[in-house]
Amino acid sequence: MMRTTVKRRLSGVLLLVAAVATLFWGHRQLVPVMRHLAYLSGWLLLAVCLFLTAYNARKKLPFLPLGSSRTWLQLHAYVGYFSLALFFAHTGWRWPTGVFEAALASLYLAVAASGVAGLVWSRIVPRRLTARGCEALYERIPAIRRKLAEDAEAMALASVAATRSTAVADFYKVHLAGFFRRPMNGWRHLAEVRSPRMRIEARIADLDRFLDPDQRKVLKELAVLVAQKDSLDYQRSLQLSLKLWLFVHIPLTYSLLILTALHVVLVFAFSGGTEAN
Amino acid sequence: MDTPLNQIERLGRQDNPFDPEFPDADLDRVAALAPFKDMDPESFPKKQPLRTILRCDTRLRRFQRGEIIVRAGDYGSSAFMIVSGDVRVVLPPGLPDRVLGRREPAKRSVFRAVAQLWANHRNPEVRTPEELGGGGADAEIGSRVFLQDVPRLIGNNKTVTLGAGEFFGEIAALSRMPRTATILCDSDEAELLEIRWQGLRDILKSDPALRAHIDALYRKNTLSNALRSFPIFQHLDEEQLAQVAAQTQFGTYGEYDWSGDYKKLAKAGTNSVDKETVIAQEGDYPDGVIFIRSGFGRLSKRFGSGQRTLNYLGAGRWFGLREIAHNWREPGAAVPFQFSLRVIGYTHTLFVPTRVMEQIVLPGAPNALLPRPLTPDELDIDDDDPLKEQGGFAQRIGPELMEFLTGRRIFNGTATMVIDLARCTRCDDCVRACAATHDNNPRFLRQGPVSSGIQVAQSCMHCVDPVCMIGCPTGAIHRDASAGDVVINQATCIGCTSCANNCPYDAIRMVEARDPGGDFVTDKESRPILKATKCDHCIDQYGGPACERACPHDALKRMDMTRLDTFATWLHR
Repeated sequence: MMRTTVKRRLSGVLLLVAAVATLFWGHRQLVPVMRHLAYLSGWLLLAVCLFLTAYNARKKLPFLPLGSSRTWLQLHAYVGYFSLALFFAHTGWRWPTGVFEAALASLYLAVAASGVAGLVWSRIVPRRLTARGCEALYERIPAIRRKLAEDAEAMALASVAATRSTAVADFYKVHLAGFFRRPMNGWRHLAEVRSPRMRIEARIADLDRFLDPDQRKVLKELAVLVAQKDSLDYQRSLQLSLKLWLFVHIPLTYSLLILTALHVVLVFAFSGGTEAN
Repeated sequence: MDTPLNQIERLGRQDNPFDPEFPDADLDRVAALAPFKDMDPESFPKKQPLRTILRCDTRLRRFQRGEIIVRAGDYGSSAFMIVSGDVRVVLPPGLPDRVLGRREPAKRSVFRAVAQLWANHRNPEVRTPEELGGGGADAEIGSRVFLQDVPRLIGNNKTVTLGAGEFFGEIAALSRMPRTATILCDSDEAELLEIRWQGLRDILKSDPALRAHIDALYRKNTLSNALRSFPIFQHLDEEQLAQVAAQTQFGTYGEYDWSGDYKKLAKAGTNSVDKETVIAQEGDYPDGVIFIRSGFGRLSKRFGSGQRTLNYLGAGRWFGLREIAHNWREPGAAVPFQFSLRVIGYTHTLFVPTRVMEQIVLPGAPNALLPRPLTPDELDIDDDDPLKEQGGFAQRIGPELMEFLTGRRIFNGTATMVIDLARCTRCDDCVRACAATHDNNPRFLRQGPVSSGIQVAQSCMHCVDPVCMIGCPTGAIHRDASAGDVVINQATCIGCTSCANNCPYDAIRMVEARDPGGDFVTDKESRPILKATKCDHCIDQYGGPACERACPHDALKRMDMTRLDTFATWLHR
């Protein structure tokens, strides 16, 4: 039996294709008969953009029965894709020549691209975070990191007295203190590059052969903390990326709305009394 | 010296009596009634004598003919004793909701809902003077519902009349289950003593005679209906059912207040199947069918050296019927119990012996009600994969998650917050929505145990068996009568932390209350006034729980974990 998610996506895509086909067919029919078709497509595009922006308003009103955020996001995505088709119909598949129009078009495409990228990213990252484990609330990550650093340092210092050797403490100071102190390898985690952690693990393995059983025990415990810290950095990096993309998408959206308003004013200011057909 | 505005008297149980104006004369009259007058005062603790319990946890209520006293399906936190007059119990199937005047829980007005945009307090945990001052009785008497033309409304429903001295409502009150029947006043006027469940529990603890009396009442008044609710008994006539009822045995397993032990074991990491009391053992002779009346049992099968959980059985489910029906049909190929049934938490059972099943129940049972005989394939299932036998949702959920749900007792929740971490972008829209709908105070934590990528967040699950209610001295934590959600009355919460300590899921948090000016409220010794807080399932908001509606990725769901089929479908959506 087909899963509901697959069914929903399939229906969404089919509806989108039908809507885009209708749009292009209708546009083609109207081009010869309507002199200022751009007015119609422009207003329609503005209405669609306002609807897309309304999703953010819905999020601010969770106490009103305005439909679930899930439905809104579905609509946001599919209407967003439709708006791309509308955008190209509006521009006539030509890149604008004026500086202002070019900026407006670029901004629109940036908003669309950031939206699509964010949607794709938000489908990929949760799976990666879940597969990696060590789930942590983003706000609590600094506190957990601090605790790990304190534990690691205490372990290294205690090893001096317990093992009568500074080998582990020296190793900690040179190779691990910095690693525990701050978030590490943010970009590498995003790209799923594991070499930094493997490098530390290789160093630990190198040192291990020179240690006695007591020192080895401490080193093994430190290795566990290293793994935890690495997973914590992974969580931080990916969770941060999920939060930051909205800081790109939303400001771009509002900038687009401002430029669009200006665009409308300019179009009417310089239309020279042209009548819409 | 004047008391500062943000300083109040610390409230105790006695400060929140069921009836704040219970006259001494009435109290004397109640104390002189049977069974209270026959109770041994020495058997009650010195700190809490019978008279104190009566003063604190009872109230007298008067009803008029046709007036509904309790409605089937409502959650009640109190039992009743008839002082004078008669009441009529309408037996299932009972009266329709329309007749019973059942209403949805009151929602905020549209204006108040929208006003949350600007009217929420800036400071956390602000309480109004009413919420700080103690509110007397917690259970609202509410608007009264009268039935006109009772004989016509009752129609073909069977009824039973109860008179002075009889108890009712004690099962719902003590087992934290919904009322099973509608009861209305059947005389021109009836006077009833309503007893808060906390008081009833304390009295039963000190007076075994009353417990025996209540058990006898259950056998007399309710057992036949309880049996009738199981499909296998529905074809029996009254006489046959009475014969079954007469030979039915009651079973009570586990601790009434099971959360304490569970929390200790869970904390020590020693919470395992082996620690649970076995109700029926796999491989034993099936000596009877076990019907679950309330609570939960774990259905498990031997797997390797341990037990693999196949399912959990809640109220209305049964164990052993298939084996007994099989043996009755094929006496030459008798089989033992195929699974084990263990108690999780606190479980009430009804045990109907095999002999009774074979002689009275099975012979006349329609084929549709008889479970199919065990096939050789089913009997051959070995340790390889007992989930195969369960098939369906148990297999779809998978062994790891089944163990997790049972081991952590997640099955208890009717609105458990489950989060699919493979979809959750950790955006915290759910937390923000919760805060926005609760005066800027989020009522759950988006953290909690994880298994197979499913997280159970620290949010009130609105349990089938809400053990949080056990220790509440004032009844501040209670079930909403219509919706069944577990909610806290802030006015009567005295901040004793009992519910927070009892909750096995750490879903209740104690907070330091502030006054509307933002200052912490303290008692005379300048100690902060605490209030218990938790998810109220957005009971007064439009559209249901804000957290679920706020999730853009369909990752968060408030799930009734007693319906594993729904959960399995959601997992594979």
